[in-house]
Parts: sequence; structure tokens; C-alpha cells
Amino acid sequence: MKTRLPPMSSAQRTIWLIGIAGVLFFILAPLYLLVKYSISDSASINTGGAPVPFWPYHPTLINYWYLFTDSQFYKVICSSLFIALGTVVVSMMLGIPAAYVLGRYEVPGRKTLMLGLISVRLFPDISSVVPVTEFFIRFDAQNTYWGIVLAHTLLALPYVIFIGIGSFESIPRDLEQQARVMGASRFQIFRRILLPLSVPGLVAIAIYTFLLSWDEFVFAYFLLGLGKISTLTLYLKQKMTYAPPQNLLATISVCLSLPVILFAMLMQKYMTAGITQGSVK
Amino acid sequence: MADVALSHIYKSYDGNPVIADLSLTVKSGEFVTLLGPSGCGKSTMLRMIAGLESIDKGDLYIAGRRYNDIPAQKRRLAMVFQSYALFPHMSVRENILFGLKINKVAPALMEEKFTWAIALFGLTGLERRLPKEISGGQRQRVALARALVLDPDVLLLDEPLSNLDAALRESAMEELKRVHRSVGKTIIYVTHNQVEAMSMSGRIAVLAGGNLEQFAAPQAVYDDPQTLFTAGFIGSPPMNFLTGLLQTRGTETGIATEVGFIILDKERQVRCVASLGKKVIVGIRPQNISYTDHFSARRVSDTSITLKAELFETLGDRNLVVARGAGDTVLRFLMKQDDDILPDRQVGVFIDGRKIHVFDPDTRKSIFK
Repeated sequence: MKTRLPPMSSAQRTIWLIGIAGVLFFILAPLYLLVKYSISDSASINTGGAPVPFWPYHPTLINYWYLFTDSQFYKVICSSLFIALGTVVVSMMLGIPAAYVLGRYEVPGRKTLMLGLISVRLFPDISSVVPVTEFFIRFDAQNTYWGIVLAHTLLALPYVIFIGIGSFESIPRDLEQQARVMGASRFQIFRRILLPLSVPGLVAIAIYTFLLSWDEFVFAYFLLGLGKISTLTLYLKQKMTYAPPQNLLATISVCLSLPVILFAMLMQKYMTAGITQGSVK
Repeated sequence: MADVALSHIYKSYDGNPVIADLSLTVKSGEFVTLLGPSGCGKSTMLRMIAGLESIDKGDLYIAGRRYNDIPAQKRRLAMVFQSYALFPHMSVRENILFGLKINKVAPALMEEKFTWAIALFGLTGLERRLPKEISGGQRQRVALARALVLDPDVLLLDEPLSNLDAALRESAMEELKRVHRSVGKTIIYVTHNQVEAMSMSGRIAVLAGGNLEQFAAPQAVYDDPQTLFTAGFIGSPPMNFLTGLLQTRGTETGIATEVGFIILDKERQVRCVASLGKKVIVGIRPQNISYTDHFSARRVSDTSITLKAELFETLGDRNLVVARGAGDTVLRFLMKQDDDILPDRQVGVFIDGRKIHVFDPDTRKSIFK
């Protein structure tokens, strides 16, 4: 339901506009810097004492050219994408049914279970990564796609389940009982009623999970660091090790952000508010 | 079509009994209302019949078969929830067809039923709308259509009209009656609204605190309430209650109360002989106390008393008078619109001895045999 805002005086309006401009500045300024650096020529960065210009002296796409001609870059993009999508699929396949059960049924020991789920994330990644790696190595999971996908799933699962529980709980119970009386099985209810109605929540989960895996560094570094598989974040790290040209790093960063933005935009149309409106009353 | 028999049903939540030893039989094709205040167990009863609640003790039979352990999705019943529970992501058409699809009905038959249902409920033209795009009254009709296309043995309705405004409710009641007459389904209807119960049902089961107070036709529940609860719950404005002693004075039997000796008609006198000499509670409906002017003729069974009129409430066609009798007893009665009583005046009224209800204060049941 949309409500019209009460009319504002011009003073109020000015204060609001200043506030919005301020927020926008803090969001956009780093993005601007990122893009600017990625198209800068080296003279615009190493200015020899002169202030760094707001716009490069000679905007250039040379860094993009460098990246896009580097076969290594395509490889890491592909593996990052594969790992991220794999993480989305696996963690949702495991997490959504779990969230459904935890959100709709009385489960004995529910609290302990939820605490157990989130326990991995109660510690900083950097301290949980050592035992996890140790454990994964025993199963020969280092330097494998399934290993890193499972590791990222481990990180994403608590969030998938917690957000999932929230979105399943928000669906009126009457709908489920109505379907039951009409003869629907539990699976049919899940498939035809609960799943379609929880789409906005699930999309949010998918975006979050994708992002989490896409820009994850610590676990990727420990599990893949020495092997053949590399991700974008590891690639960035690798480039930083050699005397890092800032403009190249900025370019990689732009390439790291773009798919995330694209993915979120694609998914956004499913995030409609008020999907259960009109069901009850 | 099927009859529904509940036998010695018992249900408790966390050790608190909500339904205690309740037995009730709904005949095939009958329209029965479970009527009672909130928390009386009526919705729980309905949900037990639907299979959404388990039955702690007792048996549920539908068409002669024990149903206790049959899961909800196999019961072949239909239910309309108070909230209507329309599936918000499905159009009117998809909502109505949902149950048929689930039950794998042949497409041709499905189409036939759909056409029948939207015609019956006047939903033509709304087939593609989503629930949020139609009005409350239309949602209620979609919910009913969705239940009826399944051709259920029993139709369960849980306060389906409580979300409608007064005018819509009136027409929805007529529609429900019409539908019941045309499809002849067994209907079990739950409500706390006595107007709905009185105007639609074949029989009313009055429930209070998980007990069945009375199970009879609407007129019988009104004319002959079997318990104090039923007497107070049914009828508007509510019944007047006085305490008194049941005794015989001369040739008449009646109740000695603070406002006077209220006589019973001959038929009632015979029915209460067993309780003579006992303390009783007398119930008199405001409709059965009439204002008398000089021209009114007193029937033999009428009791004539004098009250002091205190307050007036306009009900539109009539006025409700709140009056005080001897011993500060408050009595409410109805008068015609054109009767003219001033506040604080002494008024004479007749109490109709043919319509008096007498209850035992201990058992809270009617003493009439």
C-alpha cells in the first residue's frame, strides 16, 4: 500500500535534499574513484606531486585491453562464476527445505540446531578457516571445485536458512491448511503454494549467496591458493603481489563488481513486495 | 452426501479441556450451525472434522466410516476459512480449479465444473483477477465456489461471513441458503452470530465452554431454551432473569419474585409440578413483556405488574425500555414506536405466562418436563 507523504515546507525540502545528496555522495564517490582509476593513464596517477586530477588527462582502456587479452583472466572469471552459481544452487537445495521444515513445523531441539548452524559464523573467517581447511584436506577437498563450493556453502547456509525461515513463516498458515483440506500432499503444498509465495525471499537469498561466494577471499586462498583453480579474488591478490599498478587493480575491481550488479538487477524483478496481499480477508 | 456423527469427543490443549464429552449427529444434507461465544470450542470442533486437529478421545464418523485417523487431504471435505485463504498468487480461475487439478480431474469435467461455479456465484468476468483485485464479497464467493467444485461430501464453513459488512452479509446469507437448497450438501457452519445461525440453519448446536447446551431447530432453541446459557445467549435484546420461588397460590402455579407473583399458563404449570417449592431462576424475554394502556385486555395467563420506566433505547421499529420494579429489580421490555411513555412514570405491563422460562439454579437447566 502506497501512502502519500505529507507536503513539506521548502526548508524541510532543502534539508532532505542535502541529506539525500550526502548519502549519495558516500555511495557514489568510491565507485567514481574506482571507475576513474580503471581508465587512467599512468601520468594521471603518478603525477609527480601535482594534485591527482578529477578526470584522467588521457582516459584509456588499455587496462581493460590488458585484462581481456589475458587468458588467465577468462579462466578465473569462469571459475568464480561457476563456484558462485554452484554455491547458490547447493546452499539453496540444502537450505530451503531445512528452512521450510524449521519455519513451518515444530522441530524438537530447534534452538540448538539453529545455534549449531550459525556457529561457524560466530568466529571470524580467519580463525575458522584453519580447522575447516584441515578437515577438507583430509577428504582431499583442497584444489577442487566441489571443495570450494562446499566451503562457501558452509558460509552461506546459516544465512540461507535464517532468511528462508523468515520468508516461510510470513506465509499465512490458513493457506497451507486450506490446500491440505483440498487434498494436496505436503510436497504439492510446498511446490504450489509455499514456494511461489516465498520467491521474493528466495531471490534475496540467491543474491546474497552469489555475492558471498563471488567476493570470498579467505577460504578460497586457503583451499585453492596453491592449486590450478583460481578465483577473481585470488587473481586480484596475485596481481597485487607484483608491484601493483593501481589502474590495473581498479580495472579488476570493476570487473569484480559488474556481475554482482548485473545479477542483482536480473533478480530484482522477482522481489515484489506484498505478494501475499489479498489472501486473507 | 454424508451424515457426520461425533461421539463422546474430548479434546484438550496442554491439559485444559476445550471440548468435554461432546456427541452430535448431523444428518445427511442438513445445515447445522455450531453457535457459541468465542472460546466455546466450535472452531476446534470444525477443525477436528476437517482433520486439521487431532481428536484426543471419542469417534468421528462420516457416512458411517470412522474418520479419526484419516488425514485431512483424504477426507473429501471442503472448508471455507474465516480468512477465505485464497491463494494470493493464483487468479480466481486458478483458485477455483486448484483442488480439481490436485485431484487429477479430467480437463473437460474441470471446465464444466468451473463454468457451473462461476455462474452459480456470479463471478463471470473476474476469472483472471487476482484475489487482491476483487472485493471482500467477491473473495467470499470465490472461496465458496472453490469449495463446492470439489463436490465434497460435507462442506465446513468457519465464520465465512464475519469479514463482510452488514448489507453484504445479508445477501451472502441468502445466497448460502439458496446454494444449500440447490446442491443439498451437508453443511456444518460455525459462527458466534445468532442472526446467521437462526436464519440459515436447519438445526443449531449451542456450545458453551466445550459443552453442547442444546441441539435443536432455531425456533425450538428460541422458544424452549433448555439451559440458562442458551436462554441468555439466544435472543436480542437478551432475556431478563429474576430469582424466585416456584409455588402454588390458590388455583395458579407461578413464581414468587420481588416484582410480584408471576403466573404460568396451564400447560407450563403441568410441566413444572416436580419442582414445586424450589428456588428457581425465571427468564422473560423483553418481547414477552408488553406495555398496557387502558384498552389492553389481560389474558388469564398474563401477570400484571407495575414498573417505573427509567431509560429508553431506540431500536428503530420499537423502543427498548429499561424499567425498575419492586426490590430494585431491573426489567427490560419492548414497546411499540407509537406507545408513549415518559421517563420516571409508573407503567403497567403484562408478562405473558405462556412464554416464561424457568431454570434450576443448581443444574442451570430448564425445569420443564
